[in-house]
Amino acid sequence: MRRMQLALKLLWRDSRSGELTLLVLALLIAVGSSTAISLFADRLQRTMTIQAAEFLAGDLAIASPAPVDPAWLDKAAELGLKQAQTVEFASMLLENNEMLLASAKAVSDAYPLRGQLKTTDADYQNETLSSHGPEPGTAWVDKRILPTLKLKPGDPLTLGEKALAVTRVLSYEPDKRGDFYSFSPRVMINRADLEATGVIQPGSRVRYAYQFGGSEEALAAYKDWLKPQLNPSQKILDIHNDRPELGSALERAERYLGLSSIVVILISGVAIAMATRRYTERHFNATALLRCLGCKQAEIIWLYGCQFLLLGLLTCGAGCLLGWAAQQGLFQLLKELLPEHVASPGWLAVFFGFITGMAILLGFALPPLLRLQKVSPLRVLRRELEPLPSSGWLIYGLAMSIIGTLIWRYTNDAKMTVTILGAGFLALLGLGLLVYGLLRLLRKLLPHLSLSWRFGLQGLIRNSQTSVSQILAFSITLTAMALSFTVRSDLIANWQKQLPEQAPNHFALNIFPEQQQAFQDELQQAQIAGSRFYPVVRGRLVEINQEAVQQRVSKDSQGENATTRELSLTWTAELPEDNKIVDGDGWQADKPGLVSVEQKLAENLKIRVGDRLTFTVGSEQLAATVANLRTVQWDSMRPNFYMIFSPGTLENFPTTYMTSFYLAENQKNLLAGLLKKYPAITVLEVDQILKQFKTILEQLTKAINLLLYFALAAGFTVLFAAVYATLDQRIYEGALMRTLGARRGFLRVTHVIEFCLLGGLAGVLAAIAVEAILYALYTRVMHIVYQPSFYLWAVLPGIGVVSVGLAGYWGVREVVRVPPLRVLRR
Amino acid sequence: MLNTQIEPTTHSIIVTEQLGKAVPTSEGTLHILSAVDLIIKPGESIAIVGESGSGKSTLLSLLAGLDTPSSGTVLINGRDITKLNEDGRAAMRNELVGFVFQSFQLLPGLTALENVMLPLELSGDDNAETAARALLDRVGLSHRLSHTPKQLSGGEQQRVALARAFVTRPAILFADEPTGNLDSKTGAHIIDLLFELNQEQHTTLILVTHDASLAARCQRTIRLDAGSLV
Repeated sequence: MRRMQLALKLLWRDSRSGELTLLVLALLIAVGSSTAISLFADRLQRTMTIQAAEFLAGDLAIASPAPVDPAWLDKAAELGLKQAQTVEFASMLLENNEMLLASAKAVSDAYPLRGQLKTTDADYQNETLSSHGPEPGTAWVDKRILPTLKLKPGDPLTLGEKALAVTRVLSYEPDKRGDFYSFSPRVMINRADLEATGVIQPGSRVRYAYQFGGSEEALAAYKDWLKPQLNPSQKILDIHNDRPELGSALERAERYLGLSSIVVILISGVAIAMATRRYTERHFNATALLRCLGCKQAEIIWLYGCQFLLLGLLTCGAGCLLGWAAQQGLFQLLKELLPEHVASPGWLAVFFGFITGMAILLGFALPPLLRLQKVSPLRVLRRELEPLPSSGWLIYGLAMSIIGTLIWRYTNDAKMTVTILGAGFLALLGLGLLVYGLLRLLRKLLPHLSLSWRFGLQGLIRNSQTSVSQILAFSITLTAMALSFTVRSDLIANWQKQLPEQAPNHFALNIFPEQQQAFQDELQQAQIAGSRFYPVVRGRLVEINQEAVQQRVSKDSQGENATTRELSLTWTAELPEDNKIVDGDGWQADKPGLVSVEQKLAENLKIRVGDRLTFTVGSEQLAATVANLRTVQWDSMRPNFYMIFSPGTLENFPTTYMTSFYLAENQKNLLAGLLKKYPAITVLEVDQILKQFKTILEQLTKAINLLLYFALAAGFTVLFAAVYATLDQRIYEGALMRTLGARRGFLRVTHVIEFCLLGGLAGVLAAIAVEAILYALYTRVMHIVYQPSFYLWAVLPGIGVVSVGLAGYWGVREVVRVPPLRVLRR
Repeated sequence: MLNTQIEPTTHSIIVTEQLGKAVPTSEGTLHILSAVDLIIKPGESIAIVGESGSGKSTLLSLLAGLDTPSSGTVLINGRDITKLNEDGRAAMRNELVGFVFQSFQLLPGLTALENVMLPLELSGDDNAETAARALLDRVGLSHRLSHTPKQLSGGEQQRVALARAFVTRPAILFADEPTGNLDSKTGAHIIDLLFELNQEQHTTLILVTHDASLAARCQRTIRLDAGSLV
């Protein structure tokens, strides 16, 4: 008890003297960021769970690309289940010479079985709840539609061939999905009006959803009966097992945000380690005295361990509060993209943030703290006696264990964890060596510099290990912030710039075979330059050499993306001009049953020439042998395909056609005429889609930036921790120099030079990193030519010089304030 | 007058036999102390004198259990402390030994009262505060109990250190140049206080000093020259 009181007393005195401020700040930042993300992800997941039934608009749902067997619905009725139906498809709206790609949804009278729809009048007032959709002959529309198409309530809106009266603005639908369709504004109509629109034809890209509600026993019985009859492109969704597609996107977001927070944790950890090291060094004398007075080694560790434990508990608590506030900020920034009603925060998420903080403290503070155990009592007589430094294995081993555990927590994938740890370690090592090399180069300049520059540079070189840590911490943060800014503002614009002048900027889909020739003739007559017309069949890759594809995919890979959905399959006698065969041979026109696979997908799924691939198309299966692998120019703005079949393979399946073409701004009215004539055709305006994508990207990067501010704060704690680690030494040297005649102004200038150099080097390193990452992004991912951003080489070092220079200078202001005599008498 | 011919008796508090300390250096082994035989009786006051580098502080550190010898033994109250591990020596120090240092060695974050209470708190004594107050009053600092070392003069700090050294009523008190950082007037006052307290508590006093007049106040003087007794 007495020892606990002593520990508390020492903690209180040390904290009042500012000894522990930096450590507290660094821990606060680390806990704040990890709690923010943990809470953010947890709230969204809980929202999904709580609203799961609403998200399905029923207790159970079937999703299918085609109408299901009517016997399924009869069976459901037999079991006493309530039923509803929705049909979703994309459609171009054309009113008052304005066009808009919309996501149409035809709903049956019983929809929604769970949850309610919300609508408002045209002024977005008087929100009303509704347990059914629009009446036949009417439409409810997303608020974007009215101003874009210059419509008022009561005005007719033509969907395909059917004119409907717009009666309400749809403000909420419970089962709205987070996929491509949600980019487009919604038009909701009654199921009875669907046939009259004439938009749905065999082969159209449509999503049929059937919702069911009833007792648990009836639902379970129905599910058991239904499961063996599903084909791979059909899914059962229920509130216990399924999350909407938005859920998997959120899972990915949590993963990436979580991994980003690890950068914050790492930087904060370095600050904690530095601050603890200084703290322990300043307590060597006190520890030696305690040993002298009879304190045992274990009691020393207990004494200081208790202090750090208590400090950790208090700081982690405060950090959780900070994280709580930060996640509120995240929700505010992303409110346009997220569900309207989000679940309240859960305590488990807060607990995770808390535990993370304690683990960070353990991992980074324990090795320096353990040094106190080794302080010899003889130090009371021999001040020069210092305990041996902690083992490097302990320092790095503990830190890597903590970081590795956190990475694993976010990825849930041991292989990815090891890869990230390994790659991260190598990257840091490489960058560290680069900085070290730069410092050594600068050392050669010393004899040629003026006195103040020499002292300034020596300040940096003398503690090279500390300088390297500070430079790395800042450069990582500056790199992340610069990337976030560049991606948001330049990426899309640069991609667009490198396209040829008249690259196709429109895609036309769902062109029915009987319309194809006429549509092509119309384009030619209007002198609209377009690409070939490709036949398209929707199908899904299910097996490779009779092995399920799921055995070959890894998380977030191209392969996973291409096998968890239907692909657009096509056939042609000759491959597109810009597709180059890299393995295998072309085919003869009269040889069916062959398929050409895109090279990168083939690598991802380990597909080789000669492999046998099995697809499902509707309810049928189709097998083909891989004849060749080819490269694809994905940014050619022409229709491109993962799978191209030889003629004679797919002709028996329902087919539509796809093409792309260029339309100048002054030709847009031609498009309106075409759409009026072919209402079932879907036209994608690439520039409109890019605009929407850019808006979403801007919002997302704002949220990521919130996290980066944590990283920036962590970077500054590293700076100050390093400054204070050397402060006593600086004060002593400053006193000595002033005794020898140096003026205060001279000392100030050397400090400014030292920290400006530090910031400048961090900025240069950040510029190198940003250029390297953008180069890889542009050339490897987007396949476009990369132009170096020269402004980065001015801006980043400039930001580093100003921010680090100012902060560092402020940190060492005491050096010129303390009277020299007082220092030298100590 | 030095007399190294005292026969060990059952009443010796410290006995050393062939005590030696050697350290490796880049130029070979350096013998700091060689074959020191010493017997100290309870209640004696001993001054260890010698020039700088003669091994005085080394001898003091070995006698106090702060360091371990390269050869020989140190018996305190009949117990060979060279065979104890560091925790054992720490326990011995807490039980039997008090220290006064040249640089005072007070904990900067604790008040005068708390610094004096510290050794008693470490040994689990419930009356630490009462005893500490009494000692601080004894050394004339009852009005400075709540002041930290930063707020005290050198002389006051050393008085606090004296109070801390004596609060446990140690069997042995080691003092290393106790007036080294003080002016002569303050130093004299400190020494008076040291000997008064020593007499009151019948402590064995072992003092390292350059000061001949201080050495003369002790009952016995041990002179070291190049690590050996002369």
